[in-house]
Amino acid sequence: MAGAREFPRSRRLTQEQIVLGLSVLLFAGFGILVRGFLAPDNILSLIQNVAILGMLGIGMTIAIVGRGIDLSMVAVMAMSVAWALSLVDGGHSVTLALGAGLLFAGLAGLLNGVLIAYVEIPAIFATLAMTSVVYGFGQYFLVHVDVAYVGDAVGWIRRIGSGRTLGVPNSVTSFFVLAGSVFALLRYTMFGKYLYAMGDSPQSARVVGIPTRPMTVAQYVLSALIAFIAGIVMAMAVDSMNTRIVNSTLVYDVILVAVIGGVGLSGGKGGVRNVLAGTLLIGILLNGMTMLDLPYTAQSIVKGFILLGAIVADSILNPRDEQTSQQGDI
Amino acid sequence: MSESFSRWRARLLPGHIVGEILSKSWIDNAIPFLLLLLSIAFFSPRIPDFFAAYSLEDNSRQLGELLLIVLGETIVVLAGGIDLSVGATFAMSTFASLGMFNALGWSVPSVMLGAAAIGAAIGMVNGLLIGYLRLRAFLTSLVTLIIVRAIFDALSLKYQIAVSMPDQKSAVWDFLGNGAWFGVPFSLVLAVAVGLLCHITLTRLRLGWHIQAVGGARRSAFNAGIPVGRTVCSTYVLSGVLAALSGTLYASRLGAAGSDTGIGLEVAALTAAVLGGVSLGGGRGSVVKGALGAIIVTIVQTSLLRLGLGSGASEMILGILLLAAVAIDVKWLKNRLKVLAKVYVSPGYLALPAAELVDGRSPYALNDRLNDVELIGLGEIEGPEDVILDTAGNLFCGSRHGDVIRFFAPDYKQWDVYAHIGGHPLGHAFDRDGNLIVCVSGMGLYKVTPQQEIVKLSDETNRSWLSIIDDSRMRLADDLDIAPDGRIFFSEATIRFDVSEWMVDSLEARPNGRIICYDPRTATTRSVISKLLFPNGICMTLDGESFLFAESWGCRITRYWFDGPKKGLLKVIMPNLPGYPDNINRSSDGHYWCAFVGMRAPAFDLALRMPGFRKRMVERVPHDDWIYPNMNSGCVIKFDLEGNVLDCLWDRNGVNHPMITSMREHKGYLYLGGSLNNRIGRLKIAGADPEWSGNRSYWHGGDA
Amino acid sequence: MRLNKVIGGLVAVMALALAALPAHAEFDDGQINKTRTLLKGKKVGFVPISMGFDLPQAWYEGLHRAAESYGFEVVVREANWNVQAGAQAINQLIGEKVDVLIIQPPEMLSYSRLVDKATAAGISVIQINLKSPNTGDVYVGANWTEIFKREAEGITAICSRDKGRNGKIALIQGALATSGSQIGSQALKEFFAARKDIDVVADQAADWDASKARAVSGTILKQHPDLCGFIGFWEVQDIGIAAAIKEAGLQGKVALVTNGGGEQKSNCANVANGNFTMDVSYDARGQARDLTTVVESLLQNKPTPPGSHPIGIYSPLTNIDKSNAAAGCWSLESVKRDGP
Repeated sequence: MAGAREFPRSRRLTQEQIVLGLSVLLFAGFGILVRGFLAPDNILSLIQNVAILGMLGIGMTIAIVGRGIDLSMVAVMAMSVAWALSLVDGGHSVTLALGAGLLFAGLAGLLNGVLIAYVEIPAIFATLAMTSVVYGFGQYFLVHVDVAYVGDAVGWIRRIGSGRTLGVPNSVTSFFVLAGSVFALLRYTMFGKYLYAMGDSPQSARVVGIPTRPMTVAQYVLSALIAFIAGIVMAMAVDSMNTRIVNSTLVYDVILVAVIGGVGLSGGKGGVRNVLAGTLLIGILLNGMTMLDLPYTAQSIVKGFILLGAIVADSILNPRDEQTSQQGDI
Repeated sequence: MSESFSRWRARLLPGHIVGEILSKSWIDNAIPFLLLLLSIAFFSPRIPDFFAAYSLEDNSRQLGELLLIVLGETIVVLAGGIDLSVGATFAMSTFASLGMFNALGWSVPSVMLGAAAIGAAIGMVNGLLIGYLRLRAFLTSLVTLIIVRAIFDALSLKYQIAVSMPDQKSAVWDFLGNGAWFGVPFSLVLAVAVGLLCHITLTRLRLGWHIQAVGGARRSAFNAGIPVGRTVCSTYVLSGVLAALSGTLYASRLGAAGSDTGIGLEVAALTAAVLGGVSLGGGRGSVVKGALGAIIVTIVQTSLLRLGLGSGASEMILGILLLAAVAIDVKWLKNRLKVLAKVYVSPGYLALPAAELVDGRSPYALNDRLNDVELIGLGEIEGPEDVILDTAGNLFCGSRHGDVIRFFAPDYKQWDVYAHIGGHPLGHAFDRDGNLIVCVSGMGLYKVTPQQEIVKLSDETNRSWLSIIDDSRMRLADDLDIAPDGRIFFSEATIRFDVSEWMVDSLEARPNGRIICYDPRTATTRSVISKLLFPNGICMTLDGESFLFAESWGCRITRYWFDGPKKGLLKVIMPNLPGYPDNINRSSDGHYWCAFVGMRAPAFDLALRMPGFRKRMVERVPHDDWIYPNMNSGCVIKFDLEGNVLDCLWDRNGVNHPMITSMREHKGYLYLGGSLNNRIGRLKIAGADPEWSGNRSYWHGGDA
Repeated sequence: MRLNKVIGGLVAVMALALAALPAHAEFDDGQINKTRTLLKGKKVGFVPISMGFDLPQAWYEGLHRAAESYGFEVVVREANWNVQAGAQAINQLIGEKVDVLIIQPPEMLSYSRLVDKATAAGISVIQINLKSPNTGDVYVGANWTEIFKREAEGITAICSRDKGRNGKIALIQGALATSGSQIGSQALKEFFAARKDIDVVADQAADWDASKARAVSGTILKQHPDLCGFIGFWEVQDIGIAAAIKEAGLQGKVALVTNGGGEQKSNCANVANGNFTMDVSYDARGQARDLTTVVESLLQNKPTPPGSHPIGIYSPLTNIDKSNAAAGCWSLESVKRDGP
C-alpha cells in the first residue's frame, strides 16, 4: 500500500499542470509589467517565435515517448533542407528537391533506428554520433555553402512558413496542423498505442508480441521527417537555412521544451499536450524577456535555470530510487 | 589425402591461440590499441611529416589538453554517469584564468588553484544534483552546460577585452601553454602525471574501488553500504577540476577566450572514452583505456585537418568512429562469452592405431569377475576417484565435496571426514612418514599430516615461455606417486580446461597435459614432461629409477626414467590400449594394475581424425549434444613391464562399477574407486599375498 | 647513298632539337623571368573561417588561378567556424614552413599570438577581412569604422528627427567577439553619442545567424511598432531582419542598412527587392584581386624581417541602394568561371 504520507493520486500535481500554472503566472506578470505584451499581435508573435521549436519538440516527443531520444534532429533538419534548397537553386524542380530532402531525412532516421534497434547502441550515443555523421556527410558531399538561400523558384511552398492567412502567421498554423496530426497519431492509432507500450516497458511489449524493433525504426524515421518539415517551415520563414545551427544549442532547447512540459524521459508518458505546454512557457518567457530588453545571454541563463527547475520537479514527482534505477540509465 | 591435410593443418596452425587470447583479461585494451596502430598506419604515409618534431610536439600539446578532460570523463562514466558540461567548464576556466592572470595580476600557481576551484564548484553543482538529488545525469549535466555556457557568454561579452588585453608577461605562464621539456610539452607531462594519480586512485585507493563498484552495480553497491551519493558527487567534482585545469593550459596557449571555446568538447571527450573501451553503462574502464581513446581521437582530428579534406570530413569520420566504437562495445559485451565458448575449443588431429578387439580370444575378454564385490560406503560417498589404505588398514578416499573421507577398519562401516581440503581430491599416496599426499583438482598438491593438519605443498610451477595460457597455475592435478628419495611426481591432466570441463579435453585431443615434480627437500616445483595427452595415473616401478604413467586420450602407458643411467628416457610400453587408462598402482606379484575409465569406440576414434568436423560441431551444436568418448564401461587390467596383459576384470553388467578410475591392492583385496560413482568396491583376489600392502612395498622393506 | 644518310641524320637531329624547344617561347620583357623564378615552388597557406560562403570562395578563385599560372602552391585549411581548429591549422602551417600565411581571424584576439609566432618563424602574414590587433605584414580588407560610419549616416539620413521621422533605431550585432562587430559597435556608439536626433532603442546580438536575427528583430518590432530603422552588421545575417519586417507587414516603412561583400544574390538582389534599404559593399571580388596582388608581392619581395613594415590595403567601399543595385554587384558564378 502507498505510504501514509503520500498524496493520493488524484491530488498529486502533474508536471504539466505545474508548467501551465507557471505559464499563467508569468503571462499575468508580464502582462502587467510590460507594455504591449497583451496585444494580440504580440501573442501571435510569441507563438511564432517558438513555432519551429514546438514542431521540433513534437518530433522529439515521439522519440522520447518510445523510450529513446533523438539528438540528431537539428542536424537532419539543417542538412536535408539545405540540400533541398541548393537543389532548387541549381535549377531542379521544387518537387524533386523536396523529395530528395525528404528522402535524405528519412534515410538518416532509418539509420538512427537501425543502429538503436538492431545494433543496440544506446539512443543517446547513436543520435549524438549521427549528428556529426549527418552534418559532416551533408557538408562534404551535398551542401557546399554555410547558408542555403531560398530563391523565388520555391513558389507556393513559401506560404508554409511565411506570410499570414486570416491574420494568423502561417508558421503558427503549420505548427498546429502538425501538432494535431501527431496528436491523432498518438491517441487514435495502433502505432501510438504500441509506442506508449514500448516506452513504458519494452520487455513486456516484446513479450506481448509488439514488433518493438521495427517500431523503433519507424519512430526515428518519423522524428526525422518531422525535423524536415520543421526545417522547411523555418527556411521559408527566414528565406534561408543556416547549416551552422547544428553547432548551436538548439537541440538542447528542443529537449527543454519537451521535458518542461512533462514528457517523461523514461518513456511511455506524455504527449503533444505536454509539448504545447512547454512551448507556451518558453515562448512567454523568451518574449517577455526580450521585451524587457534583457540581453540574449541573460535570457539563456534564465532559460537554463527554468529547465533546472523543471527536471528537479520531474525527479520529485517521478522519483527514481536506488533499488529500481537501471544500470546505464543516464 | 584429406586426413594428412588435417594432420598437417592441426600441427602447423596453432588454432588454440585464438581462444586463449580472447580469454585474457587484457583483450579489452587490445582492440583500441589495434585501432591506434591502424590509424597511425593509415595516416603516416599520407602526411609527409607525421613524425616530424614540430608535428609531434603540436599534437602532443593538443593531446595533453584533451587527455585531462578525457580522464575526468572516464572517471564519471566509470561511476555510471555522464558529464556533458565539460566544454562549458573548460570555457569558464579559460576565461577566469585569463582574468585572474591578466586583469587581477595573480601569480601562476594561484591562477591554477583559482581555476581548479571554479571547476570544482561547477562539478559540485553537478555532483549535488546527480549524486544526492539523484537527477538524471544526462539531462542535468546538459542543463549545467547551458547555464554555465550562458554565464560564460555574458561575462565574455562584457569583459573579453579587459581580460585578454593587458598582456602580462610571465615566462612561467607562457611555459604552461607553450613550453616543453626536451620536446615533450608541459600539458602532456601534466596530463601523464594526473593520469598516474588517477590510475592509482582507481586501482588502489578506496575511493577508486567505490567508484568502480557504483558503476558496476549501483544497486548492490548501495545495498553493501557504499556511500553512492558521495562517490558520484566526487566523480563530478574531479571531472570539473580536470576540465578547468585543461582550460588554464588553453588560456595560456591562445591568450584569448573566444565565444566558441569548448564547443563540442564533450562529444570529443565521450568519443575518446568510448573508443578506448570505457563502457557506457559504467564499471568497466581504466585510465589506460581513456588515454588510448584520447590518442586515437587526437591523431584522427589533427590528421584530417592536416589533410585539408574540406569541411565536414573530420566531423563525419569522427562520428562514424564513435558509432563503430559504441557498436563494438555493445556487441562485445553482449557476446563475449558466447564467442569465447565457440572459439576456445580447438580440436587437433589424433590418429590412434586400430584398437584390439575385445572378443573371446583377446586378453581383454569380457567377464563377470567384478560381480561379487563387497560395497563400502554405498550412497554415502560421492566421487571416490582414488582409494588408499594406511598401515592400520583404514581406507582413505576423496569426495567431490572436497573432503578426504576415512573409512575405519576392519568393516569399513564407520567413516569420518579426515580432512576438508576443497576442490575434488583425486590421487592419494602415503609418504615415508605416514603423511597423506593428495592431488586436489583445481587446487594443487596437498599434504595431510597424521595429526590431520593440511599443508599446501605446491600449487604453482614454472611458466613455459611460449604458452599464452598462464600455465604456472595448476588446473587439474590428477594422480601422483612418490620416488624413494621423497620426490613427488604428479600429473596435470590438462592446462586448458578446469575439472568441470575435463571431458571437453577429449574433444580437443591435443597434448595439453604434463607431469610435474615437486621436491620436498628444496620445496621447488618444475614441469618434467610436457605435451602429453591427458596424463593420468603414475606409478613408481620397483627399481626406483623410473615410473609408469598413463595417457588417457593417448590410450598408452609409458615408462620414464627419472634417475639412474637411463635418466630422461621415455619408452612406450603399451601403445595401443583398447580403452582410456586412468590410475596405475602396484600389484602384490610385482606387476601393475591399471584401470580403464572408458573404452574406445570406432565412431569417436574416427572423429579424432577429423578436426574440422569437431570444430564445426562445437560451433553449431549445443554443448550437451557434443560427441564424447564412451565413459560408461571400463575394466581393470594387470600388466607387466613388457606390456603383456596378465589379467582383466570386468563388471559386465555395469551394476557396481561401470567405470573405474582406480584400484588399490591391499592385503589380498582389491579396492575399486570411480570418480562418478557413489561406492567403493572390495574384491577378494584369489591367490594374492594376504600380507602385501602398498606401504610395505614402498617404504618398509617389501619387495625391491 | 651516303649523302642521303647524312641528310637524313641532319633532319633527325633538327627535328629532335625543334621538339626540345618550348612550344611558345616567351619574350623576356626584363621582368617576367625573374617573377616566375621567384614565385615558382613557393607555398601559401590559407586559413579562412570557412569555405562555405561567398567571400572566401571569391578570394580563393583569385589565389588558385595565380598559383596555377605561376607554379606556387595554395594550401587551404578551413577552420569551419571553429577557433580551436583554426589555431591548430595555423600551427601546422607554421610547422610546415609556408612562405606566406593568409588568415581570417573569427575573433579579435584568438589568433594574435599565432601571428607573432608566425612572424618569428620567418613567415609573412596577411590578414584578410578581419584582423587581430597586431597586423603581421599586411591587412587586406575594409576599414570597419568607415563601413559603420556609412551605415550610421545612411540610417540617419532616413530616420533623423530633423528629417521628420521619430529617430528610433535598433542595432542587431553579429557575434560580439568578432573584430568587425566589436569595431562596429564601438564606432556606432561614438557616432550616436554625439547626435541628438537619433535614439538607439534596442541593441541585441544575433551571432551571425539569420533565424536568431529574425526572432530578435521581430520582438523589437512588437515592442516598438513605430521603429524607424535597423542597423545590421552583415548582409547574410540581416536577411532575418528583413524577414521579420516583412512578417510584421512593415516592408517599406522600416529601413534596414547593412554591409557585405557585394555578391549579387546576397547584396544587390536584396536591395532590389526591397529587403535592404542600403548595403555597404566592400567588394569581395576586388579584395580577391588585392589579395592575389599582395601575395605575389610578398613572395617576390619578402620584407626582412617579416612583420617589420606592416601595411594596410583598405578596400574601397560602395553604398549600394536602389539607384545602383542593377549593376553594382559581382556574381559568384562568373567569378568561379572566369576569375575575379
